[in-house]
Amino acid sequence: MKNRFSAAVLVLMIASAALALRLAPYNYASQDRDAAMAPSTARHVTGTDELGRDRTVRVAAALLIGLAGAAAAAAITTTIAAGIGVLAAFSPPWATAILMFVSDAFLSLPWLFLLMMARSLLPLTASPLETAVATFLVLAAFGWPACARAVYRGATALRSAEWMIQGHACGLQPRQLIRLHLVPHLRPLLLPQFLICVPVFIVAEANLGALGLGVGEPMPSWGAMLLELDNSALLARSHWVFLPIVLLVVVLLILESFTAEVENHA
Amino acid sequence: MRLPVKIAARVGRTLLLMVFAAAGTILLVRFAPGFFSDVREMDTKYAPGARSEMQAENYRQSTWLIASQVAKGWLDGDFGQSRQFGVPVSELVGARIRVSALLLAQGIFGGWLLAICGALPISGLRSDRLLWGLPFTILLAVPTAAMATACILAETGGPVLVLSLLIAAREFKFLHGLLERAWRSPHLLYGRAQGLSWRALVRMHILPNAAQQLCALTTLSIVTALGALVPIEVIFTVPGVGQLAWSAVMNRDLPVLVAVSLLMACVVGVAGMISKDIFTLEAA
Amino acid sequence: MRSLLRSSLLSASLMALLTVSAPCQAAPRQPGELAWTIHYDPKTFDPAKVDEQASELVRYLTGGVLLRLNRQTQEPEPQLAESFRVSPQGTLIVFKLRGGMRFSDGSALTSADVAWSLHRVLAPATQDPVADEFLSPREVTVDAPDKLTVRVHLPRRIIGVGKIFDEIAIEPANRPSEGRVTSGPFTVADYKRGQYVRLRRNPNYWRHDAAGVQLPYATGLRLDILNNREQEISLFLRGEYDLVDALSPDYFALVAKKSPQSVQDLGASLNTEQLWFNQSSAAPLPDFEKAWFQNRGFRVAVSQAIHRADLARIAYDGHATPAFGFISPANRLWHNDDLKYAHESVADANRMLLASGFHLSGNQLYDAAGHPVKFSIVTNSGNAARQKMAAMIQQDLAVIGMQVTIVPLDFPALIERLMHKQDYEACLLGVSNTEPDPTSMMNMWLSSSPNHQWNPSEQTPATEWEAEIDRQMQAQASSPLRNERKRSVDLVQQIVADQQPFIYLVYPNVLQAVSPQLRGVQALIVSPGPVWNIDAIRRDDGRDEKGSHQGGAR
Repeated sequence: MKNRFSAAVLVLMIASAALALRLAPYNYASQDRDAAMAPSTARHVTGTDELGRDRTVRVAAALLIGLAGAAAAAAITTTIAAGIGVLAAFSPPWATAILMFVSDAFLSLPWLFLLMMARSLLPLTASPLETAVATFLVLAAFGWPACARAVYRGATALRSAEWMIQGHACGLQPRQLIRLHLVPHLRPLLLPQFLICVPVFIVAEANLGALGLGVGEPMPSWGAMLLELDNSALLARSHWVFLPIVLLVVVLLILESFTAEVENHA
Repeated sequence: MRLPVKIAARVGRTLLLMVFAAAGTILLVRFAPGFFSDVREMDTKYAPGARSEMQAENYRQSTWLIASQVAKGWLDGDFGQSRQFGVPVSELVGARIRVSALLLAQGIFGGWLLAICGALPISGLRSDRLLWGLPFTILLAVPTAAMATACILAETGGPVLVLSLLIAAREFKFLHGLLERAWRSPHLLYGRAQGLSWRALVRMHILPNAAQQLCALTTLSIVTALGALVPIEVIFTVPGVGQLAWSAVMNRDLPVLVAVSLLMACVVGVAGMISKDIFTLEAA
Repeated sequence: MRSLLRSSLLSASLMALLTVSAPCQAAPRQPGELAWTIHYDPKTFDPAKVDEQASELVRYLTGGVLLRLNRQTQEPEPQLAESFRVSPQGTLIVFKLRGGMRFSDGSALTSADVAWSLHRVLAPATQDPVADEFLSPREVTVDAPDKLTVRVHLPRRIIGVGKIFDEIAIEPANRPSEGRVTSGPFTVADYKRGQYVRLRRNPNYWRHDAAGVQLPYATGLRLDILNNREQEISLFLRGEYDLVDALSPDYFALVAKKSPQSVQDLGASLNTEQLWFNQSSAAPLPDFEKAWFQNRGFRVAVSQAIHRADLARIAYDGHATPAFGFISPANRLWHNDDLKYAHESVADANRMLLASGFHLSGNQLYDAAGHPVKFSIVTNSGNAARQKMAAMIQQDLAVIGMQVTIVPLDFPALIERLMHKQDYEACLLGVSNTEPDPTSMMNMWLSSSPNHQWNPSEQTPATEWEAEIDRQMQAQASSPLRNERKRSVDLVQQIVADQQPFIYLVYPNVLQAVSPQLRGVQALIVSPGPVWNIDAIRRDDGRDEKGSHQGGAR
């Protein structure tokens, strides 16, 4: 019931964002220079940003790009973490040692420099969308190590659990074991990990904008809109600057209710 | 007899991790764009000085040479000179470790306490978990810098508060899931049916059952905190290792970066060690 | 349910506990101390080794100098030297020192100290950037015939004597102290890396105001090292800081609302914001792109298509002045008032492009060979106004059919592209000019210089107009006559406006906030800004009413 409601809200949000993009008389790049930081008017329902671009359209576009990118990246990174963690737990000791060593090594290196190298490898004329995709992929590739260790711990505990041993004894295939026992038990770790990664990646994308990665101008970036909230001068000028963060909270709540539902069914 | 061997293995692993981190850092920094440049080069007034300085320092050396110099230096107990400050790295980092460690400890402690205080009662509720968890969801959505600005505008709170909130928001999600599952387990239902008090249930059933997984979360928590340390120290101008690391990144200060990633490797190694050994102890 | 309540109470009280620590606290102010911020740590306190701005500020505040360049009149004024005389050939400078001067530690200041300090600056081992301004520092000799006379023998005339000696701090002979013992208004008292630099009043400073009160008025200065504008402004509004120099335009209105009497817009600065195309033949770019960028018509069309007034109004919130040349109108001595330049007009830009072999097809511009005109503009990240300008330029150029991507980069990566690899197409950046005299911009204009951004380190000038700029800049640097120099500099301004190697966009205005409690502050648009007459600035805490002799030190 609740689940259906949140699904409806999510669909509604995405549909109205797409609709706003299609129907609005402006696109996300057009600058109405006589109406910079305009308040809410009939022309610009949620006002405009500092360059006079319609906020509704920009937020709508940012929502679509950011949600797709961050959710995909979070899903990838959680899957990698689960894969590595489980693999490490069920491998021979030497392989476990190597896998965990690699994940620890990942945590202690300054990957920021790799991102800089990634930027220098991309051509400068790469389109904003291309850099955005590259950025989310890189984020997905580097988000897993911390979680992998937690998954590994959880999986090791399960390895020696009674029901697993019983399952073994009953002649369950490894695949069945994973599906029936492992995944349900790891869920309380993996679902929050996914949920946390979404806002983290949205903001991280914008932070990487400083290195020339992320969603470039004139495309709107959800994260960049969130980061603007540290500017008290901007906060004082319009309340609509809070729109992106309100939407993010709503999206997180929806995702959370999905995860809660999955949890309850388990 | 076996314990010393085990400890030696763990320490050896951490050391290996440190060597690996140092080598990786040297490679990454050396090949990152901007290693051979100095911000003053663009300033017409200071450009000639910056250029002659760079020539004198002979940055255009091979990666091998840098690595061997760093290795030799570390063996002799010399951590090199910071490129941006021209001061021995040990002097720079030494003074800052205490500040950062304190901030980290306070932040992690505060964060966990907040998360537990939030998650314990909320996970016991049958309904409205979204509503009760809303503050934590909001915290998850607010970027660090915006939180810091809010603190400055409200003239309350500081780096410790923001770090605690960041950690609490993340840990809450994990804790909540774990605890909710614990509440629904058969022996707990049985305990409830017996009319055990809420507190007794928590003490006798929930915490011991979730303890293992809580331990598994410690590493995650430390890593999260380490990651959050840099922006927080930069934004609040806390003179800690995170702030130093950030300015080292921005100035491609290789000796400092090597020192910082060694520290990081050390912390990660030790954190892994602790969570593992608490585990084995408990199993025993 | 009760336990739930108790638990939430517990977490609430924990929150309260955590919030006790204040977010930003400046170090406690000592009585009579002035405080403001610098953005990063000074690299050195040794006045002879200064090579960045934070160190230069500390040297300005602590070092005693023979001559000080009056920042308002641009004329040298005697300081430690009571008078000075330059010989007609310009090869001998004689300084006559004031009598009875002492260093901050009480030791006497004589010509021996001056000669020693000059020798130290000139010695190649010191690597003082100021030495280069003596043209051939090894051939300069300094002697001290008596305790109050210093003679400097030069192989040939140098330009800007006032400016050069303004940057040489006199230290006690054989006792370099990194600013701890000085002959200027303050001395370095305490430094905590990453936190603050504390300067203490020099009790033996030679200068007195008109009423005979010894300067400086302030008992000390505290320069907090802080790189967070929110925090800086919040502390300023709370009265913890006395001034904010280089207030960023987006915060101007905010501070003006809360403290209207403290903010000042001093009008155009000497700094410029500019866009330029990479014209280097060594650049790893396809030949057809190099051909666009080396095409004058292309550059002029871009310049005509950019709406500078919009940039100033929107990106700088009105706190900038549209720019068409490298010398700001605020630099009245050197600005060319008769400058002729191509005015903004999209129609003219389109005509210019057509005449230069480009053609529009739909919304996209193509060159003669059919290549679509697409390029990227690199800029540094972290400058909000510049980033906004980039997005606006992107839009302006889209109107004439150019497809532009904006790539913000961190500074080291950007510099590597600009200075070492020439691996970029166009760049949007600012140049800060600390001095009005065009000689300070020589590095940028000489074609052989590595800072000749659009085509650095040329063996021989690539174009006739660059050769002409070289000639005129050399001429102005060697002529002692102001008129001749002005004529040369005017000519260079005109060539630059015709050729548009740099497409100038705006002169950002000088914005500052000065506490209404400060007395004696004089507006100044060049470095070091409002603190240039630091010895005569005092803080009026409302308790003492002796502020009547403010500004008396002339």
